[in-house]
Amino acid sequence: MYIKEVRAISPQLTYGNEFEKGDFQVHGEGILYAIEPSYLDFIPASLLRRMGKAVRMGIGAGLPLVKKYPGIEGIIIGTANGGLEDCIRFLNQIVDYEEGVLTPTNFVQSTPNAVAGQLALMGEKTGYNSTHTNGSLAFDNAMTDARLVLENTEQPMELLVGAVEEISDYNYNIDTLNKHYKAESVTNEELIRSTTDGSLCGEGATMFVVSNQAENAVAEVVDQFQICFPGREELVTLVAAFLAGNGIQPAEVDVLVFGNSGDGRTDFWYNDLQEQLFPGKEITSFKQFSGDYRTAIAFGCYLAVKILRGNHSIYGLENAGRPKNILVYNQFAGERHGFFLLRDV
Amino acid sequence: MRKVFITGIGSISSLGLTVEEQLESLRAARSGIGKAVHFQSVYTSQLPFAEINASDDELKKLTGFCDKGITRTTLIAMKAFQEAVADSKLSQDEISDTRTAFISSSTVGGMCYTDSLYADANNKGEPSDYYSSYEGSNHTLQIIRAYKLRGYTDTINTACSSSANAILLGARLIQSGRADRAIVGGADCLAKFTVNGFNSLRILNEKPCRPFDEHREGLTLGEGAAYLVLEAEETAGEKQPYAEVTGFGNANDAFHPSATSDDARGPLRAMREALRTAGLSPGDIDYINAHGTGTINNDETESFAFLTLFGEKVPLFSSTKSYTGHTLAAAGAVEAIISLLSIRHGEIYPNLNFEQAITGRGLIPVTEWKRNVAINHVMSNSFGFGGNGTALIFSRCT
Repeated sequence: MYIKEVRAISPQLTYGNEFEKGDFQVHGEGILYAIEPSYLDFIPASLLRRMGKAVRMGIGAGLPLVKKYPGIEGIIIGTANGGLEDCIRFLNQIVDYEEGVLTPTNFVQSTPNAVAGQLALMGEKTGYNSTHTNGSLAFDNAMTDARLVLENTEQPMELLVGAVEEISDYNYNIDTLNKHYKAESVTNEELIRSTTDGSLCGEGATMFVVSNQAENAVAEVVDQFQICFPGREELVTLVAAFLAGNGIQPAEVDVLVFGNSGDGRTDFWYNDLQEQLFPGKEITSFKQFSGDYRTAIAFGCYLAVKILRGNHSIYGLENAGRPKNILVYNQFAGERHGFFLLRDV
Repeated sequence: MRKVFITGIGSISSLGLTVEEQLESLRAARSGIGKAVHFQSVYTSQLPFAEINASDDELKKLTGFCDKGITRTTLIAMKAFQEAVADSKLSQDEISDTRTAFISSSTVGGMCYTDSLYADANNKGEPSDYYSSYEGSNHTLQIIRAYKLRGYTDTINTACSSSANAILLGARLIQSGRADRAIVGGADCLAKFTVNGFNSLRILNEKPCRPFDEHREGLTLGEGAAYLVLEAEETAGEKQPYAEVTGFGNANDAFHPSATSDDARGPLRAMREALRTAGLSPGDIDYINAHGTGTINNDETESFAFLTLFGEKVPLFSSTKSYTGHTLAAAGAVEAIISLLSIRHGEIYPNLNFEQAITGRGLIPVTEWKRNVAINHVMSNSFGFGGNGTALIFSRCT
């Protein structure tokens, strides 16, 4: 499976080309909010007003690609939680008005499949359409789904695959109860050097045009791997086996794009792999750019594509060289672990 | 392409706590729709619901799953999962095999405890027991942990077609050789969140739903969980499969966020794709387990799709949501299992509460328990919000 183009709305200036030219946005308030573009060029104002942030970002990153690639047949989205702000607005109405007469807008917008549905509607795509909500593997699942669709046809085909997650009071408060975020004030610039408990909250929409054709591709998604609740030593063995299954040695992986988040409780997962399988390899954490959210690995894949294209202006990647193989890895709370092997084309 | 057999089924709904209990209810035309006892909402006095006849505590006893923070969604999922893997006689090693996939689905997930979620999300009072259980995929994770699943795992939410897409994806994983076995399905339970959501859209019927009837006034919400064990032909070995998954189609209506198109473009595309992948023509379908929610919009559109695809020879059809209510994400799997019972026992379970055909459509569903019918191919439809629609075809193993 090949990636033709990527597009992101993120806490960095990824909508234009500032991020690629080395701009690094420092977020000091402990939460990395996405920097959103003006959507009015392609979303009617009346429609935009009703859209929650997840839907808005998903359309903002995805619709220009749907319009640009008429060959896109279907849409597959990964999102752990979908439109949370609408969800809690509706929830609050239910409780505050004691289940009185409510308006449906928030309810309809809160369903996680609203992003893929709205993209299909606005892009007039009646083909394959699915939404994966499997926590931190939701984007991994979306990409596997896409691979199966593309393999199943003899015809050249393109699909839009992406991930969306928004910050809302709902998940911020609940994730805080779960101690996912740092108690002290840390910027994203300092994040990966931190060793205290917790990470920094982030959000964004990352979209990929994938195809079964190599022509004009920017990267190949060679393979993926996922595992839940592995043992600490077992994971190292499993990753080595995953690479071997794809015919490469750990030494042939040139760059690691990992989800380190300066979380003293879980960064050992990344450190173990680096020390035992990839000593001396160039490593970067995508979470210093995107913040932490369930489907942040999609931003890791976005970053990997940029590195594969030889972009050395990106903050901290001056020495990345011109890699051939990149391993992207993210885990969440040690529960779900996902890997992508991306290759230069 | 490898054949995909169904070798185990497990289901819990308002019709019964096991597949066997549900079969008895189906044959006796005994609907699960009535007054909710366990579900707490102001609407329980105004609207009928299809509630599972077990409290959370009873479900904990039934499943032996009593960990703190376990939600009703997880409990019913666990119950159906246990029945399905036992029915397929899977060993723990087979369940934990890296070649065994697990694909579940849910729309409401852990949000079934709407009031706890409200308090936790708004930082009101002490954290509840459920603060780490709200995600739609939490039930999947709990089952993965309990059964030490190590293969491909996934959770899908395409609204009311969710578990139909879980079945579709499991079949494709096996066909492609990425898995040898897939446990697929979904779970959703009654929740203030969904009841108020559907009520705000004014599509809940004050009386038990009456799919495909001229005077239908909306759907009845239900709860349920169902899982199917799919196995590659060679993995299934000597097992006697319920049926083969032969066809599947997934399409988007691309018309409206919460309504279906008049020309049924999405449903039709899904149904045609299912026939194409199965290598069948419309005349081969012996029975359709319809989506048939009982809303004005769905039944009108689905009828139009039947007439367009099958012409004057619309196959026997019924909506078993007149028994189970609409179990949302679980509906595709609950109804897939009912379709499998139809194939295995050569019988069709009726569309309850039907009196008069829809004007201009004239389609009459099966209204009585019909026995001794040769059923080789069943189509099962699931359509949902966001324009999502999936059609599946199950075929008698030859």
